[in-house]
Amino acid sequence: MASATRNDLVETDTSRTDAVAAATVGVSAVLFVLALFALVEVVTLTESLAGLPTVTLLGLLLVLLGGTVVAFGVGSRLGYVDTTPRMSAGLIAGLAAAVPWAAVAWGVVAHTLNFGNAAGFVAAGVAAAAAFAATSFPREDVGSTVPIGLLPVVVGLVFLTSVIGPTWTWPLGWEQPVTFNAELVIPVATLFCALYAGWAAAKAYGGFGARGRRMGAYTLIYLNATSIVAFLFVLIAFTVVQGLPGIFTGAQFGFGTGPESTILGVTFQWPFSLPFVMNGVALLNDFQGVLPAIAGTIWLVIGAVVFAVPLGVGAAIFLTEYAERGRFTQVVEVATNGLWSTPSIVFGLFGFAFLIPRFGNQKSLLSGMLTLAFMLLPLVVITSREAMLAVPDEYRDASAALGVSKWQTIRSVVLPAALPGVVTGIILGVGRIAGETAPILLTMAGGTFTPGGQTVDVIGGFEFTSAPPFVANPELLEATSALPYQLFALITAGVGESSNLANIDQFKWATALILLVVVLSFYAVGIGARYYFRRKLQYE
Amino acid sequence: MSEIEQTQTQTTEQATDQPLETTTGESDEEVREEWRQYDFQGSTKLAAGDLNVHYGDDHALKDVSIEIPEQSVTALIGPSGCGKSTVLRCFNRMNDRISSARIEGSVTLDGMEIYQDGVNLVELRKRVGMVFQSPNPFPKSIRENIAYGPEKHGDLETGLLSRLLGRSDEAAREELVERCLRDAALWNEVHDRLDDNALGLSGGQQQRLCIARCLSVDPDVILMDEPASALDPIATAKIEDLIDDLSEEYTVIIVTHSMQQAARISDQTAVFLTGGELVEYGDTDQVFEDPQSDRVED
Repeated sequence: MASATRNDLVETDTSRTDAVAAATVGVSAVLFVLALFALVEVVTLTESLAGLPTVTLLGLLLVLLGGTVVAFGVGSRLGYVDTTPRMSAGLIAGLAAAVPWAAVAWGVVAHTLNFGNAAGFVAAGVAAAAAFAATSFPREDVGSTVPIGLLPVVVGLVFLTSVIGPTWTWPLGWEQPVTFNAELVIPVATLFCALYAGWAAAKAYGGFGARGRRMGAYTLIYLNATSIVAFLFVLIAFTVVQGLPGIFTGAQFGFGTGPESTILGVTFQWPFSLPFVMNGVALLNDFQGVLPAIAGTIWLVIGAVVFAVPLGVGAAIFLTEYAERGRFTQVVEVATNGLWSTPSIVFGLFGFAFLIPRFGNQKSLLSGMLTLAFMLLPLVVITSREAMLAVPDEYRDASAALGVSKWQTIRSVVLPAALPGVVTGIILGVGRIAGETAPILLTMAGGTFTPGGQTVDVIGGFEFTSAPPFVANPELLEATSALPYQLFALITAGVGESSNLANIDQFKWATALILLVVVLSFYAVGIGARYYFRRKLQYE
Repeated sequence: MSEIEQTQTQTTEQATDQPLETTTGESDEEVREEWRQYDFQGSTKLAAGDLNVHYGDDHALKDVSIEIPEQSVTALIGPSGCGKSTVLRCFNRMNDRISSARIEGSVTLDGMEIYQDGVNLVELRKRVGMVFQSPNPFPKSIRENIAYGPEKHGDLETGLLSRLLGRSDEAAREELVERCLRDAALWNEVHDRLDDNALGLSGGQQQRLCIARCLSVDPDVILMDEPASALDPIATAKIEDLIDDLSEEYTVIIVTHSMQQAARISDQTAVFLTGGELVEYGDTDQVFEDPQSDRVED
C-alpha cells in the first residue's frame, strides 16, 4: 500500500471504514462540547446525563473513541483498511503525543501510586520519550493513532473505575494551597483527549498521508475557532443570566408606571418602570439603581471621543499628507505607539496630578473625559494614519490633475476613503476606555453610590453667566460615577454589604450586564457608522 | 561622465551607420536637429524648450525641445523608461508632486511660461487635463465623479448651504454631467445609473469616465498617459475613437507603448529613445513610413 501505486482519481462510494472514521471525529466533537459544558458547569459532574452518571458516560465515550482510533491504525497497518500512510508521523506529531503522556505519567506516579513529585517527574520524562518514540518511529498509520488513541482509553478507564470520580480531590501539598479537584481535572482531561483523538481520527479519515494531515489540521482549526466563539457566547450568556434578575428587580410595565422625563423640553412618561436603570441609590428608594453611573459612563465616552477624534485625525492628516517622511515623523510614530501601550493607571495619575488642580481642585467629569481622551488619542492617530496611507495615491493624483488643492483633496477624497478605518480605530478605543477603572478612580469618581438626583446632566448643565466666558457648566466640574468604577467599588471594597442594597450579588451582576450593554451599544453605533461609510465607497 | 561617453558612442555609431545620408557634408548633430524639426500648419499650443528633468541622480530627460500644434493628436512613443511620461507630466507640472524631481528649461502654454513664479497651478491644471494609465475614478457616484472638479473650484454651488439658500446649481450640474459623458461617449451606457458607484463600471467605462471627468473643467489640452494599456481590444478601440473625436476640439497628447496605436490615431509622432532624448518628431505618416533615423526604424 505504501508503494507508488496510483489511487483512483475519483472515489465514488463512501466505504464503511470511512464512515467509522467520520463517526469517530463526530464522537470527539461531541466529547469536546461536553467537556466545555462541564468546564463552565452547565453539565454537572455529580448528576446523570442520558441515564448514566456523567463521569461514567464521559469515560465510556473516551474508551470508545480511543479504541476506535487504535483499531483503525492497527487495521491500516495489517492491511484491512485502504490508506496511503507515509513512513513516519513526523516530529511535530511526536512532540504533541509526548506532552499528554508526560502529564498522565506524572499524575499516576506522583498521585495514584503516591511515590512523590520527584519520581513523578522521572516517570513523566520516561513516558514522554516512549510516546515520542512510539509516534515517530513506526509507519504513520500506527504512529499517529496508537499512542494518541491509547490516551483516551487510559483516561476513560480511570473515569470508569472511579480512580477519579466526581468528588475526587488532590491537595498538592505545596506551600500555596493548590488543590486539583474533579470539576477541573475531568473536563480538562476530556477536552484534551477529545482534541487529540479527533485529530488522529481526522487523519485516519483522510487515509493518512498529505490528505490525512490536511484533514487533521482542519479539524483542529475548526474546533479551535468553535471554542473561541463558544467562549465568547458563554461569557455573555453567563453575565446575562446572572444579571437579568437584578435589572428586573421591581420592574413594572404598562402606561402610568414609569417616571417622567423631559427631553428637549418635551415631558413624557415612560410606559415602563425599570428601577435599576432609572434610580440612583438613596435611603428612601424601594429599589436601588445605577442611573448616575450609566449617565456618567455615556457622557465620559462621548466627551473623550469629542476631544480625541478631531485632534487624532488632524494629527494623522498632518503626518500622512503634509509632513515629509523623516526623523520627525518617526519620532511621532514611536511616541504614539508608546503612548498607546502606556498603562492606564499612569494616565490616571497624570490626570490626578495635572488636571484636577486646574479644574477646581476636585474630581470632575471634565478631568475624566480629558484623561480618557489622552488615552484614546494615540489609537485614533495610529489607525487613522494606517487608513490614510491605505488610500491609493491614484486618487490624490487624479484630484491634483484636476487642479484641486491639497486640502480640498484631503477633505473630499482622502478622508471619505479613510473613514471606515478611522471609525474602526474609534470603536476599538471606545471599547477600551469605556471599561477603564483606574483613571476614573483617580480623576472622576465621587462616592460609590450616587443618588438619582445627582445624575449628571451635561446638556441641561449649561448656563449663562454675567462674567466671561459667559457660559458655564457646573455639571462638568462635579464628581460623578461610572459603571466600571461602581463595580470595582462593590467588589473590592465590599461597599453595600450592610447598607441599603437588598441583594449585593444581584446588584453587581446587573451592573456588569449594564456595562456590557453600554459598551456593546457603542460598538453597534460604530459598526453601523462603518457599514454606512463603507457602503458609500463600494458598489454592490 | 558616463552619460557624456554614452552620447559620444551613439554619435560615433550614427556616423558610421549613415554615411550616405550625410552627403551634404553637414555634421551629425545638425542632421539630428533636422529630424526633430516639424513644420506644421496652425498655431503652437504647447512648447518645451531645452527641458531637462532629474529624479535625484537620474537624468530622466535630456534637452527636449518640442512644439505641439493646436487641436491635433500628438503621440509620444518609445521604449519603457525613455522619459515620455516625464515629458507629459512636465506639461501640467505634475512632476512638482515628486519631491526628488528637478526640472530645468521652459514649457510654454499659449506662449506663457508655466515654470515661473506666480503660476496659478489650479488654472494650469484646469487648462491642461490629464488621464492616467490605470483608470482611477474616485470611490463616489458617477455624477459626483464628473462634478468633482467644478464643485471644488467653486464653479458649481451644490452644497447644503446653497441648497438651503435656493442658490443651488443642480440644473447646471446635470447639464455638465450629461455634456461630459456624451463627449466621452459614455452617456448611453450609464445615463440611467448616475448615482451608482463608479467602481462598479468596467475598466473601459472607468477610463472613459476619467476622460469625462477631465473634460468637466473645460481644458484646452488633454494629456493621456497610456490610457488604453490596461484595457481589452474592444475598450481600446472605443477610447481611440473617442480620442479622434476629441482632437476636433482639444489638443490631445498621448503617450503609448503601441506603435500601431500611435499610427492609427495621431497626427504627429515624437519618438523618444532610452536615455530621455527626443530623437525624431514629425508627421505620423512620415515618421512611420520614412524614419530618418535608423534607430527609430529599428
